[in-house]
Amino acid sequence: MKRTVDVNIPLGPIHPCFKEPARVKCETKGERVIAAEVELGYMKKGIERIMKGRPWQEVMFLAERVCGICSVIHNMVFIEAMEQISGIAVPPRAAYLRVVANELDRMQSHLLANFSYCYTIEHETLAMYLLDLREQVMDLLERLTGARVTCAYMIPGGVRCDIHHEDQAFMHESLDRIETELQRYTGMFENGPMIALRSRGIGILTQEAAREAHVVGPTARASGIAEDRRTQHPTYKQLGFTPVVRPGCDNYARIMVRFDEVSQSIRLIRACLDGLPKGIIRGGGICKAGEIRYSGEAPRGELTYSIKTDEVGRVAEIQIQTPSIMNIEACCHSMIIGADSIADVTATFVSADPCIACTER
Amino acid sequence: MSILQTIKNKVRSRSIHVSYVDVGSCNGCDIEVLACLAPRYDIEQYGIFVHNNPREADVLIVIGAYTHGWEEKLAPLWEKIPDPKAAIAIGNCPISGCCFDRRGSYVDPPVSKHIPIAAEVPGCPPRPTEILNAILSVRDSVFADWEVKRR
Repeated sequence: MKRTVDVNIPLGPIHPCFKEPARVKCETKGERVIAAEVELGYMKKGIERIMKGRPWQEVMFLAERVCGICSVIHNMVFIEAMEQISGIAVPPRAAYLRVVANELDRMQSHLLANFSYCYTIEHETLAMYLLDLREQVMDLLERLTGARVTCAYMIPGGVRCDIHHEDQAFMHESLDRIETELQRYTGMFENGPMIALRSRGIGILTQEAAREAHVVGPTARASGIAEDRRTQHPTYKQLGFTPVVRPGCDNYARIMVRFDEVSQSIRLIRACLDGLPKGIIRGGGICKAGEIRYSGEAPRGELTYSIKTDEVGRVAEIQIQTPSIMNIEACCHSMIIGADSIADVTATFVSADPCIACTER
Repeated sequence: MSILQTIKNKVRSRSIHVSYVDVGSCNGCDIEVLACLAPRYDIEQYGIFVHNNPREADVLIVIGAYTHGWEEKLAPLWEKIPDPKAAIAIGNCPISGCCFDRRGSYVDPPVSKHIPIAAEVPGCPPRPTEILNAILSVRDSVFADWEVKRR
């Protein structure tokens, strides 16, 4: 088909707005974008090939290094898949502590995503406020697990370390402060007239288009699809989890879904800490041979591990499906098309929260 | 030392422009570099500005274990940065390849084979304060009296 294109504008791989290298090629007519294409391949490390044939003790640490931002959920999904294969039961206290670590990780990831968006639309004040809030969440994560990033908190049959009584009090105090500040910043985003001009009605992804592209995570929930793997997780079922859904379909809705999920995470952590059962944090168990396909909800959407192990607990085959690839495809096929200017392209791309490291692995 | 050199030293010590490039990492070091921007660490109080534009940068922060996609891109990028310049390797990946340098992977560490590296910050990932400290130490050792040293 013949098309009239004025300019082909490549964005990236090194771009002031992108944290990671990816190339977005836009075909424009005037200022309007008529087609876009994402070019990947700058981060391919072949981590699944490294994992094959190694014992689970090594793969556990490699799984975290698939993605540094959402390292806790990669650890959690791999460990829970190994537990399902081997029939290892988790003590209730450890199951609750896992939820605490996972939700803290989700909070910091969402705050970082919203920071990136605010930075891209040049609202630097709000961006810095959010980054400061994220540091407070990182403090809690460090206090619980012992490390800021790649903490390897979960192991088959439990978690690595217990939460102390004084840490619980500190966590409650910090969560109260974080919640008050978060409400203020959410209000700033919600009621900012200039933010609304840059965000509302831009980067539309309709529900039908979202279903066609198999979009996952906050991007899907901002298009009105109530899809969340946490609803099928046993511990989250006990806590009475319901996903946050917004019908907005635009950049504004995607950012607001993340803000809502952060406050939802705060409520979940409070519920966990209040109802924390007493007992051991680490049971025993031996990893056995088996095969499973297991999913969990990463901050960006559904994360699936297909694992096949042999009788001594070595990983014979592994496939990882990460959420960002669907979101990136939906981004360049639906959201970016028809954007009024190139500045909206970067904002829309960042609002889908692409994680190139876990997309390419 | 000439007066001109003194002025240059003084100006350069408070104006370091940073560009960062991710050549295949797990993202963990990326977010620790981003955390340096946070008001808690406040990288800009030392006169360090993160622009991510190689043509106006003084310091290039390299993160990651050098994948094949960067073979034709990293060296030209390094040449685009005007003198005086320095590259800092953040994390274990650019130094040794960390957990990615195994049989079957697609990485080619260390990065110092491809571009000259002035400072290395080991850690998986290093803390933001360590990254900040490395940039500040490069400022004193590379940019001070640069014209005198070049002669």
